[in-house]
Parts: sequence; C-alpha cells; structure tokens
Amino acid sequence: MLEISELSQRFGDRVAVDKLSLTVSRGEIVGLVGRNGAGKTTTMRAVMGIYRPLGGSITWSGHPVALSDRLRFGYMPEERGLYPQMRVLDQIAYFARLHGVELPAARSEAQLWLKRLGLEGRELDRVVALSHGNQQRVQLAVALVYQPELLVLDEPFAGLDPSAVDSLSEVLRAETARGTAVLFSSHQLDLVERLCDRVVILEQGKVLVSGTLDELRARSPQRLRVRVATSADWTANLKGVEVISKDPLGVLLAVTPGMDTQAVLRQAMAAGSVEQFGLETGGLVELYRQLVRN
Amino acid sequence: MTGITTLGAVALIVGPTLFSAPTKPFAVGLVGPSAQALAPTLLAAAKASGVDMTTVNVSDDATASSELTPKQTSGQGGGLLSSLRGGSATLDVALRLDTGSATIEFYQTVSPTLAAVLRAVVEEVHQQDVLTQAGVSPSVIGALQQPEPITTAILKTASSDLAGRRIAALAAGILLFFSVGIFCNAVASGVAQEKTSRTAEVLLAAVTPSDLMTGKVIGIGLVGFAQMAVTIGAALLANAIVQSSLVPSEVWVLLPAILLWFVLGYTLFAFGYAAAGAMVARQEEVQSVGMPFTVFLVGGYLLMYATIASPDAPWVRVVSFIPPLMPALMPARLALGQVAIWEMPVAILIMLASIYGMARLAGRIYATSLVRGGPRLSWIAALRPR
Repeated sequence: MLEISELSQRFGDRVAVDKLSLTVSRGEIVGLVGRNGAGKTTTMRAVMGIYRPLGGSITWSGHPVALSDRLRFGYMPEERGLYPQMRVLDQIAYFARLHGVELPAARSEAQLWLKRLGLEGRELDRVVALSHGNQQRVQLAVALVYQPELLVLDEPFAGLDPSAVDSLSEVLRAETARGTAVLFSSHQLDLVERLCDRVVILEQGKVLVSGTLDELRARSPQRLRVRVATSADWTANLKGVEVISKDPLGVLLAVTPGMDTQAVLRQAMAAGSVEQFGLETGGLVELYRQLVRN
Repeated sequence: MTGITTLGAVALIVGPTLFSAPTKPFAVGLVGPSAQALAPTLLAAAKASGVDMTTVNVSDDATASSELTPKQTSGQGGGLLSSLRGGSATLDVALRLDTGSATIEFYQTVSPTLAAVLRAVVEEVHQQDVLTQAGVSPSVIGALQQPEPITTAILKTASSDLAGRRIAALAAGILLFFSVGIFCNAVASGVAQEKTSRTAEVLLAAVTPSDLMTGKVIGIGLVGFAQMAVTIGAALLANAIVQSSLVPSEVWVLLPAILLWFVLGYTLFAFGYAAAGAMVARQEEVQSVGMPFTVFLVGGYLLMYATIASPDAPWVRVVSFIPPLMPALMPARLALGQVAIWEMPVAILIMLASIYGMARLAGRIYATSLVRGGPRLSWIAALRPR
C-alpha cells in the first residue's frame, strides 16, 4: 500500500502541498481531483522521487519509498516525456531495461504492450512521427512494460479520443485486477466517477474531501426536482429557495437545512398539475462544484 | 563523425606523400674531358655532403643547354607537377672546365647544396693544380686537403627541433580543443533535450539525478575517448606506412599526455555543460547558457598560441595552472619541454580537485533545474535550493 502522510512542499513563497495525506491500496484505483495548482502533480512527483518533500512521509508496503521501490512504480507525467527521435520499440525496451528488465524480455514485453495498445506495426517508427494520441499510448506502454506494482498517472486521459479512453480504462481495470495500485489525476470527473474506487479532492494543496464513491455521493448535496404542467414561472413566489436550473425536465431546487418541501409542493400544485416531485442525489460533479464554490 | 575525423587525419598524413612525386638524384652534365675526369671526385664529395647525385657525360655546350631546358609534356599526366618541379629536363646542372676557369650552367634555379659541392670540388682541383705547378709535393698537398677534425657541441635546442616541438604543441592543442568542445556540447545538448522533452522526469523516477548526470558525462566521454583513440591509431598506422616527414616524432611522444588531458579537460567542462544544459527552457538556449565555459575553452585555445610563441614566459607558467586553461596549455608546454618534473603531478592534482568541485556544483544545479519548468534559469536561481 502507498501511504502519503502529512506531505508538505513549497516552491519559493508558494505552498504547493500542505500536510496532505492519502493512501492507495493494491488493486485499488484512487482518483486525484482538483483545479489547476491544487497540488496533484506535486504529490505525484513527490511519490516518484522527483521532488524531495519538505515535510511528511511517503511509504510503500510500510517502509519509506526508496529507489528500489520506484523501479517497480510506473509513471506517466503530465507533460509526456519520450525521446522524440528514438524508435517506438527501442524506447519502450530502453525504459524497461532502466527498470531492471533483461534485454530479451524487455523487447518481447514492449512488443506485447504495443499490440495491446493498438500500436502494432509502428515498432520502427520514430516517436516524433506518431500522432499525439499514439505518443500517449507509447508513454503508457513505457509506464506498464515492467509490470509495476504502483501506477502513478498524471492526466492520462487528456487529449485522448473516446475509443482510446475506453481502451485505457480497460487497461487500468486489468492492471488493478492483477493487484496493481493505481493513483491517477484527471479533470474529467465523469471518468473518475466511472473508474475509481476512491476519490481524493484537493484544493490549495490540502485534501478537501476523500472517500469511496458511495461515501462521496452521500455527502453530495440533495436537490428537489419538480415538474409542473404549466408554462408559467411558478418558482417566482418561492421564498428563500435557490433554483439551480430550469429545463424541460423540470425545475431543480437546492435543498437546504430546514427547507419546507411541503410548502414548495403546495406552490407547485397551485401552479398546475404536478408530474414529478422528488429528491435527487448529486454526483461527483455536483459535490466538487459545491466544495470548490464554498 | 568518427569516420570523418579519422579519414581527415589519415588524409593529412598520407596525402602529401601520395601527391608528391618520388625524388630522383640530381643529374650533373660534365661537358668535355676535363670535367668528365672529375666524375669520381664529384661523386665522392656529393656522397660526403649527403647529396644524391649522378653524372652524365655530355659532348658539347649545345647538347648541355638542350638537356638543361625542360621539355613540356602536354597532354600527359603529371605535366603540371613536373613543371612545378623544374620540368622534365634531363640535366639539373652542367659543368664545364676550361684552362683557368670553370662554368656551372643551370636552367632558372639550382639546389644551393649541389652548387656548393660543385664549387668546392672545382676549387679543390684548382688549388691542387696551382700547388703542383709551384712544386709542392703531393704528400703536402694531401695533408693540406685533409679537413681539420671538428667537434660539434649543441648548447641550445636547434631550430629544426624546436619547429617540430611547436608543430606537436599545435597539433595537441587543436585536437584537444575540438574534441573537448564537440563532446562537451554533446553533453549539454543531450541534457537539454531530456529536459525540454520532459524525458528527464520519467528517467528520474528510476535514476538519481547525480547518476543520470554522471552517466551521461561518462557515456559521451567514452565515445569521445574511443573516437580519439581510433583517430590517433589510424594516424599512427598511416604514418607507419608512408613514413611522412610532415609528422614530427614529438607528436607521438605526446600521445599519452593528449589522452590524459582530454580525459581531465573533458570531465571538467562536461560537468559544467551538463549543468548549463539543465538550465535551459528551449534547446536553442544551450549555446548562450554554456557561454561561461565556452569562454574558458576558447580562451585556453587562443592562449595556447601565445604559449607556443613564448613557452618560457613566467606568465605562461602561472596561467597554465588555472584549471579551465590547463587542458589547453599544459600539453603545449609539455611538447615544448617547458614543464618541470614537479609541475605535472601538481597540475593533475589541481585538476582532479577542480573536477570534484565542478561535479558537486553541477550536481546541485542539475538536480534543481532539470525538472523545473518556466523560463531559462539564471545561475543564481539555479544554485538557490528549492
């Protein structure tokens, strides 16, 4: 298990990460969510030893992460890092060698991953000659080729087309089924919601909230959806009630503590025939928006 | 790259030998019986003076003049070369002896050594005739003509030896300047490419910054060393085959020193250039960030010429102990025989200490700069811990 405890990092006067703690277990996918500059990349770089943190600790299987551990970590940085002039197969095999895989195995594993990621036939192409999406696949192959125990992926889905997103999602699920721990960051909250077992939302270098998807959904604000068969704006008479949205599916109202839902129902019935009246639980997107807004 | 430099070195040695026509002995035409009688004496004198000479009996002046005039062989290969060497004349010089006078005839120019040999023999014969006519006995004449034994003592290096040493110093300086410069720039470019392509971030997940930097310096250094060894080896082989007179023997004596100072000089500068490469934001900035090291590299190269001009100047000795100038100046001083026995180990120790200091400093800059985004870093910013 990866355990980050009280991690702190600053660059000059700017605090990048402030006493951040999180864990990632084997066979688990943890999503890091947060706006730009929230501390996602800094956290991942600290795990990979690119920065030495100013405070806190990072442990793997109970001991501080050492270089020998990181040789079994797969890493995909936010800004992709490949030798542009090197051939695809050589590149993947080179990084496998760097992580301790013998040359014949490195080349055969590289070949295997190229096939799995849909890059068969591109082995001898130079990386610079590939499209952005295919370069991203090569980067992913570089992170996976030595069968890592932990995958640290910074924005792995950025810029991918829907089919590439599906194929990467499949790969991640297969890796976790093998027992790999996965920590990844993304701004695509629907993907995070679909893939992750647990989510950590960061803001200004701190953990704002973390938990399983069910736990987070339970914390998500409730909304009241009301659909009335009228063209008139009946919500104008509602006092102290926040209208989130209005659309053909009805009106979405924010539910606040002490809100008199029966009074809302009466107003709706007075306006016309009530076709729908019920509470809805928001998803990750709503929770994130609410947390960041507050 | 290795192929080009190796071919260049071999061509420099073999080329002049290949394209120069083989030397032939001077042909001296002896006009008339008097001159022809001198043939054995002339040949003996020429041999004693180290002049390769043959004699040809010529019947009259007209034939001699004709044989002295070059005959142009237009349309045949080698015409230009033979014209440059005096044409394809049969004779280089003609000698005629008359009663009381002698004539040496040649076309445009004649070898001064050959002319001196001819004059000495003619004068000797003339003196012998005069002394015989005066009644001096042959034994006295023989004793007079025996040369006084002379012992030569060389108090200072002969100018020809010094010229050889200067060529050796120059060759070593040029070879070191270009080799160190080329391979250090390769280090800077390699580091800058890994930084700007963000490959460094992936590499640093598996390798420590100091290992990554040292590995790059050693890897490129080994390639450079191998290239120099191949180039020098090919030059040695070429020289052994053609026995080029253009290559002074001092160059080969200097080889271990050249290789040693390549290793020391390259290592010192390579660490500096590695740090410079890590500070750039774009690949094109490598040259400008590496400028402080380039100044010393070029400065050393220029001072090498001053060292060759005045190798025994006190300031040269002082300046040659400044670490970044040492790789250029020490081999030059060594070639010119100006390095005292104690100086070499002291210089090497100073250099090793400098390399250690540079590696530490570069390691610090490299580790903090390599994964730092944003604009190009200043040296102060790069040295500031993050």
